[in-house]
Amino acid sequence: MKRVVYIVLIVLVLSAACVRRDQASLDHEKGYSSVAQQEIVFPARAKTVSVDGVDFLQSQAPVGKFGGTLTTSIIGEGPKTFNPFNTKDATSSTLSELMYDGLVTTDAQTGDTIPKLARGFEIHGNDYIIYLRRGIKWSDGAPITADDVVFTWKNIILDGFGNTSTRDSIVVDGKLPVVRKIDDYTVVFTTPQPFAPFLRSLAAPIAPKHVFEPAVNKGKEYFETFFSTNANPKDFVTSGAFKIARYVPAQRVVYERNPDYYVINTENQKLPYLDKVVYMIVGDLNNEVLKFEGKEIDLINLKGANVARFKKRERGGDFVVYNLGADTGTLYLSMNLNNRTNDGKPYVNPVKQAWFQDKNFRQAVDLALDRQNMIFNIANGLAEPLFTPESLNSIYLNKDLPSYERDEEKSRELLRASGFSWDDKGRLVDRQGNRVEFDLYTNAGNTEREAIGVMVKQDLEDLGMKVNFKPVEFNSLVNKLVGTLDWDMVIMGLTGSPLEPNGGKNVWLSDGTLHLFNMRPEKDKNSKRLDWEVRLDELFRRGALATNFNDRKRCYDEYQAIVYEQKPMIYIYSPIRIFAIRNKFGNIFPSPLGGIIYNLEEIFCK
Amino acid sequence: MQIVFYILKRILQTVPLLVIVSLLSFFIIRLSPVDPLADLRLNPSVSKETLARETQRLGLDKPIIVQYAKWALSFARGDLGVTSNGERVSVKLKERIPNTLLLTVVVIFLTWVVGVPLGIAAAVNWKSNFDRLLTILTSIGMAIPSFFFAVLLLIFAVKTGWFPVGGLTSANFHGMNFFQKVWDITHHLVLPVTVLFTISLAGLQRQMRANMLDVLESDYVKFARAKGLSEFQVIYKHALRNALNPMITLLGFEFAGLLSGAALTEYVFQYPGLGRLILEAVLRSDINLVMASLMIGAVMLIVGNLIADILLLLTDPRIRAGANV
Repeated sequence: MKRVVYIVLIVLVLSAACVRRDQASLDHEKGYSSVAQQEIVFPARAKTVSVDGVDFLQSQAPVGKFGGTLTTSIIGEGPKTFNPFNTKDATSSTLSELMYDGLVTTDAQTGDTIPKLARGFEIHGNDYIIYLRRGIKWSDGAPITADDVVFTWKNIILDGFGNTSTRDSIVVDGKLPVVRKIDDYTVVFTTPQPFAPFLRSLAAPIAPKHVFEPAVNKGKEYFETFFSTNANPKDFVTSGAFKIARYVPAQRVVYERNPDYYVINTENQKLPYLDKVVYMIVGDLNNEVLKFEGKEIDLINLKGANVARFKKRERGGDFVVYNLGADTGTLYLSMNLNNRTNDGKPYVNPVKQAWFQDKNFRQAVDLALDRQNMIFNIANGLAEPLFTPESLNSIYLNKDLPSYERDEEKSRELLRASGFSWDDKGRLVDRQGNRVEFDLYTNAGNTEREAIGVMVKQDLEDLGMKVNFKPVEFNSLVNKLVGTLDWDMVIMGLTGSPLEPNGGKNVWLSDGTLHLFNMRPEKDKNSKRLDWEVRLDELFRRGALATNFNDRKRCYDEYQAIVYEQKPMIYIYSPIRIFAIRNKFGNIFPSPLGGIIYNLEEIFCK
Repeated sequence: MQIVFYILKRILQTVPLLVIVSLLSFFIIRLSPVDPLADLRLNPSVSKETLARETQRLGLDKPIIVQYAKWALSFARGDLGVTSNGERVSVKLKERIPNTLLLTVVVIFLTWVVGVPLGIAAAVNWKSNFDRLLTILTSIGMAIPSFFFAVLLLIFAVKTGWFPVGGLTSANFHGMNFFQKVWDITHHLVLPVTVLFTISLAGLQRQMRANMLDVLESDYVKFARAKGLSEFQVIYKHALRNALNPMITLLGFEFAGLLSGAALTEYVFQYPGLGRLILEAVLRSDINLVMASLMIGAVMLIVGNLIADILLLLTDPRIRAGANV
């Protein structure tokens, strides 16, 4: 008997300790949930300076020291190609675009489009006049001229070589822009009609004609294998700050500085400062953390509990932790607003249709969600609540739309207003007396979305709804969402662009290929639109045609306001990005838009 | 002559086996619900045309049996095809196979050089303290999961800084002279080899000990002792020869594991071997790469068994007598 008492006591003490520990760690994480976003003082924008007939780009960042290596990492199996026109994954794009500059780039501080390989540009209606730098060279010494630009755009991008996503994004009504050479240093692009997103697409890399032309002449199939990962690093002719020196499969990619780069510092010395940049190829996040702690890498994107641990060791450590704010990933809950039939059979049960079509119902669901709770418990506090379709770091974010907390009372009021009521057991029933019960899907295996699903289910069941939460395999889910269309509610995520809302047109146009919440397959193309869908179509059309930022902003502000009001997609949160970088590096100006090492040529080793 | 016929017969027998293995693997992969294009489908910036083109390029628009026939034909011709990124499978494998071989050959060599003598020693000193100590150590070695052990050693490497955190070569490897290179690779190999060595040593030592104990109990050993032969002659001339026979079969299995046996450890140590490549291929349903690795596994197993059988034929007159029939 005595023994039993002891065992009970021990269990009690242990469990008490556990409870207390859980509590403590939660508080602890809350404390660091907002690693303050530091104030960064950016240097003035780089400007063009002509020295001995060469139009250099002069960085205005403080002058640093030459030499040194920066080692960072990429997660996964490494690059699939080093040809920037063939890349289909983020790793390959990062690694290949490091070597090739585009005509323009994005100002990491303001998001403006600024000249890079080009000296400047002018926009006259549908004409984009690009002025090139005189005297700058490819890494083999050949001059960079209008021929390279025209070749890259006409023969590679517009002809549909490699990955065609750039081409796909600039097709307007089936028509493509045309490009022509005015003289060796001037090129004109003409779009079929005014099309604002075109300017940013000029950031696409420019290829050296004398190297790429033979490959293009051999056709598309050959081009797919051109400059693959097996290519000899010596064969690369590049324009970027760094050039590949060695690729060791599954281990690392080593870049060395381009000694003839066209960016100079304020003392007119040629950048970049660093001798080498190394990308370690690591298999997973845990290994990345170990490599950072083992001092094998200098830069790391921190996730989850590691943030608190690193933040604690930052003081006295040899690294700095930066919070870059919310990233472009958005998690959302969507309802199926489809009210059409397939061979006489409705896609969605008509009883449920009535609920999902009801704006009050959608708003009630939205108000019932406890976003803060999800952020603390699922994202370790490393996320920001989200209420708009544009991500929080978007330059088009509509800041007038206020955020709000969970409000069960208001939610119940909205339901009551739409004729819903609760039976004696607290179960929600609609006007016809049907029990409110539906399926909630997400893709199985994604632990974050599964956890959100569980919490959404709890929140909605507090309102008396019955939610059947069903994580299903990704492919079956995709098939449901874009094929058979027989779903009620879903939790999914999308990645948008912080710079170009037009990228979301496939989601928001009423006949878009990803218009999930009211998908119109081919046979339904001409079916009736909801009033606000018509308005969204109009806003996206106008937003793409307007070329002035403020005109565009007005269109995209209104679209966000409509989604905020109508709630076809209920946004939940955006994760925030936190990086640690060794403090031996200078000229680090982290920005939500650019990240940490977007200005690689200016970074130096102290 | 008989041996040649025997080998030919065995090789012919492998053909239907390989066909069955490949059919099963191919259908399982293709019927698994992993869609190589699912990511593209949910990417807002991918157009329908691109999706259609990708489907066609990967051959996903054809019935599964046609896909298999296409693969089997090119495999029979010795062409392993291309990965879903358009790289040659043979090139990808060639990058990784030497690294994996380096690791597994070192491990197998060490295990046999250490494990066999330890097994003999334990059997000869049966029930002594030395034997008991070895039993405890090998129990630990067999019980510890390789994955867990590898993670522990990695943490050890980070905390002490004595060993590199995974990988095979240092960042400045290509600037080193020959001796530095050898040292660098050795330094990187220590931890993964320790993990694999500990685990396979335990099994091998126990196997050898058990075989030896069996043989030491047999009549001919008793007879040899009765004849008045020295203990050395009894053990190394009479007992050991017979005890080694089952080990030869084991060697065949070791051969089969040369390329696939270290996958888990490779993954933890971020070792640039086949393991990581295949894992990613399976996750992406990269059919040609997965099929190539499965077929290599099957062929290695068959060849390993064949080698073991031939060696047995050469060493064991009893089997030779049986094969004559």
